[in-house]
Amino acid sequence: MAPAGTVRPVLIRAVLGALLLGALAFPAVFTLPFPRHIMIMIFLYGTLATAWNIIAGYCGQISLGQAVFFGVGAYTSSLLFKETGLTPWAGMIVGVILAVIVSQIVGYPVFRLRGHYFAIATIAVGEIVQSLIVNWDAIGGARGVFVPIKRPDSFVNFQFHQSKAFYYYIALALLLLALAVTRLIERSRRGYFFRAIREDQDAAAALGVNVAREKLRALAISAALTAMGGTFYAQYLLFIDPESVFPLSLSILICLVAVLGGVGTLWGPVLGAVVLVPLQEGTRVMLGGTGKALDLLVYGALIVGISVFQPGGLMALFARSRTAGSAR
Amino acid sequence: MNGIVARLLAVFVYVAILAVLPSTAAAQPKEVVIGVLYPMSGPTAQPGIDNKPVVEIGADIANGAVDLPFPFYQKLKGMPGLKGAKIRLVFVDHQGKPELGQAEAERLITQEKVQALFGCWNSGVTATASQVAERYGIPFVNAESSSPGLTRRGLKWFFRTSPHDEHFTQGMFEFFRDFEKKKGVKIKTVGLTYDNSLFGADSGKVMKEIAKKHGVEVVLDLQYKERSTSLSSEVQRLKAANPDVWMPTSYQTDAILFVRTQKDLDYNPKMIMAQDSGHISPDFVQAVGKDAEGTMSRAPFNTDLIAKRPVATALNALYVKRHGKELYDFPARSFTGFMTLLDAINRAGSTDPEAIRKALVATNIPGDQLIMTWEGIKFDETGQNTLVKAIMIQLQGGKFYTVWPWDSATKDVLYPIPAWKDRK
Amino acid sequence: MGFVYALIAAGLSLIFGLMEIVNFAHGEFLMVAMYVTFFAWTLAKLDPLVSLPLVALALGGLGWAVYHGIIRWVLDGPMLAQIFATFGLAVLLRSAAQFLFGIDFHTVNEPLLSGRLALGPVFIGVPQLAASVTALGAFVGLHLFLSRSETGVALQATAQDRQAASLMGIDTERMFALGWAIGSACVGVAGGLLAMFFYIFPDVGGSFALLAYVTVALGGFGNVPATLLAGVLVGLVEAFGGLVLTPALKYSAVFALYLGVVLWRPQGLFGRF
Repeated sequence: MAPAGTVRPVLIRAVLGALLLGALAFPAVFTLPFPRHIMIMIFLYGTLATAWNIIAGYCGQISLGQAVFFGVGAYTSSLLFKETGLTPWAGMIVGVILAVIVSQIVGYPVFRLRGHYFAIATIAVGEIVQSLIVNWDAIGGARGVFVPIKRPDSFVNFQFHQSKAFYYYIALALLLLALAVTRLIERSRRGYFFRAIREDQDAAAALGVNVAREKLRALAISAALTAMGGTFYAQYLLFIDPESVFPLSLSILICLVAVLGGVGTLWGPVLGAVVLVPLQEGTRVMLGGTGKALDLLVYGALIVGISVFQPGGLMALFARSRTAGSAR
Repeated sequence: MNGIVARLLAVFVYVAILAVLPSTAAAQPKEVVIGVLYPMSGPTAQPGIDNKPVVEIGADIANGAVDLPFPFYQKLKGMPGLKGAKIRLVFVDHQGKPELGQAEAERLITQEKVQALFGCWNSGVTATASQVAERYGIPFVNAESSSPGLTRRGLKWFFRTSPHDEHFTQGMFEFFRDFEKKKGVKIKTVGLTYDNSLFGADSGKVMKEIAKKHGVEVVLDLQYKERSTSLSSEVQRLKAANPDVWMPTSYQTDAILFVRTQKDLDYNPKMIMAQDSGHISPDFVQAVGKDAEGTMSRAPFNTDLIAKRPVATALNALYVKRHGKELYDFPARSFTGFMTLLDAINRAGSTDPEAIRKALVATNIPGDQLIMTWEGIKFDETGQNTLVKAIMIQLQGGKFYTVWPWDSATKDVLYPIPAWKDRK
Repeated sequence: MGFVYALIAAGLSLIFGLMEIVNFAHGEFLMVAMYVTFFAWTLAKLDPLVSLPLVALALGGLGWAVYHGIIRWVLDGPMLAQIFATFGLAVLLRSAAQFLFGIDFHTVNEPLLSGRLALGPVFIGVPQLAASVTALGAFVGLHLFLSRSETGVALQATAQDRQAASLMGIDTERMFALGWAIGSACVGVAGGLLAMFFYIFPDVGGSFALLAYVTVALGGFGNVPATLLAGVLVGLVEAFGGLVLTPALKYSAVFALYLGVVLWRPQGLFGRF
């Protein structure tokens, strides 16, 4: 995908700027929590999908175990906060460090595998970790962790009961951070290494790229961003259990969001989140509650439809309209 | 270029429409809006789907569309406290996921402008949804989540009508004592199996504690993975440990598989005492009822009590007409909790959340007006109903009968459960 | 259980070997097969054993239809789009099942075969035994078909090299559709067998599908006989893991086995890729 500036860079920047302004102003316009909640979820899933995109989209290693890092982030900060009163912000950093360590321990052996063997190995790791957490009574096991509610709202405690606006801006900041990291990688030498590995890892190795090291780095970056998302989720919900932060379905959802938008592109995962999250929430709000699973029926049909008619992700749609535009 | 702008605009308009749509249904005067959160899809969908009609019946009673000719329900007819305001229900499906419970509770409160919340069956979802209610100061009534921790969080706006696992388990061991006395049988050892869900883990923990208190030895303490594809090794370990009583905690899926595996592997426990849930659901009875002969369970309610309690008989007729199924534990508990909420709203005489909360605190419903065998409904300072009473039921001839307390019993305890080889 | 796992996995393996697509809706195919068996039993009073060919045929038809309706269109797309499509299909099938049949649990009661055999201290349920034998039979049949018959050989040729096969005059399009039909029919048989002793409801496929993926990868992608061995291995590890370790960790044992094996042999036990 060409960088987003080949046609009319000024105009595209203006659109992006306007979007950012719109995102910043959103809480001022929409004061109800539910629209804000949807936006927060878009940002959160956008962040997670962007993190996944670094390892899978750029580096070509399809990890279906991202929930491990998410859960590590969520559990670390929550447990530290609950047991020692350490601010979740510091907990977030500890969580990031732990997630990176886990990613290196897991990644070192597993990166020897390729293609589907790798993908399934990441599923296996995810399932094993989830089982271990469920059976680990000292950290609550299946009963999960209630994050202690602290009043009044405070930045230090990372809890805002009065208004969602704080959560909103923190989530937005997370997303921007993830995008900035991706952008940096895209433009750096490392980005070329990653893409070389994706295209042909043997050729990349022949050209002197240290394949094993680069893959581990990509995973570390991805794990760190995912863990931050985990901490955010824990503080937003104030209740976590293995079922909600470690499941395979979360790993798959992250992947779906990115795929829908378009992998290996900067904006693809965000676009995916912008479409998929409201779609999911929308079908549920309008059609759920009937007990007939109509909402999921529509959701599933749409996913199949999109993949059949737009296999390259939604970003391909933009690329096409752009080429059409420049031809005119 | 225009294409991009147009598409982005379309996406935003879409989000905006989504955001605005539900709020068009803003509250009209003379209406009480209650948000009902249940799982209606996914693996735990059944309770939600079976409870929905009974909650609707409850609303119809208050709206005067349906008649339940007993004083407590007559008092609610037409909601006199609110001068005939209508009850409107908003159902949402949380799919058994805590984060959806949270988001939906918030949406119901802020956009649908509900005056009270009711749900959520799954303990994990109740945990997050009730926190939202607490934050906004909206009363939350829970009729069936049995995790003891829920009422120990110091919440002001949370009320639970149903007994929790500790009441239930206490009841089981009291029954063992009574049973020992009556039949001269000794119950010294128990074998526990429970799944790794929130419900399973809680139940396992409580059972271990209470067994210890009663001096009963736990000879097998087995946690297994929820929705396993095979349970043979679990059953083989039970067989090897051979406890006096096998005490399983499982959802329907595993409960059904347990019985099938138990039959295949010729495991013959003398007594099975289940922690409700999967082991008493109608699906379980329908699927493996014959093979599960003699299974006992704790319960707050049982279908055979319908005939004994006129209120339940009348309600059952309404329920069968609407849903085509007999009333059982889940809808019975749901109904009781929901009517408690309506009663409080009626007494509050207003839709002000604080007034409703105060009325809930002052709740005092006599036991004879309930479909349950409880002594009534009265909340302690944690919001837990203190007048609950567990009953023990047993599956005999494909139907559950109440066997304890002795005075409510409709059948004698079947003991020991016949071995597989002695059955037809 | 191992043989049944193997049969479920075989269908997946076949489809994968043919066109390198992992079917994420595999578990849902299994669920559909179980429902078909159930309805054959309630409506037409057909014992699961009798309705087995019928179920296989129905699922074969489903596989064929899915190929023509969906897979054909994403075949040339990126691998991720294929994952996406089959995942969407999974959600679709599951919710369609709830929509049509409700969420009640069903079981086939009193099948023709029931009871158990005692082999010393170990008991084996007759339905399970029958399932294992039938699964084994189906497996042998599948293997013979693939290696002996002309169509089977053509299928394998297509799997090895699409272009070369089409140059040889093999209608690859037809082969793909056939592969889906046969792969799905395998799941059909597995579902029919499973329905004899397992409960049926819309979400039943999930846990089996996950084991099937591991089984396929354990044996090595694209190698159908190896899948059999892997399936048996998974079944054994599951059973013994539950006995020796705590049952809550028995699936962890299966996943650990997979990790151990692929770290030792990155292409699975007998993989070609």
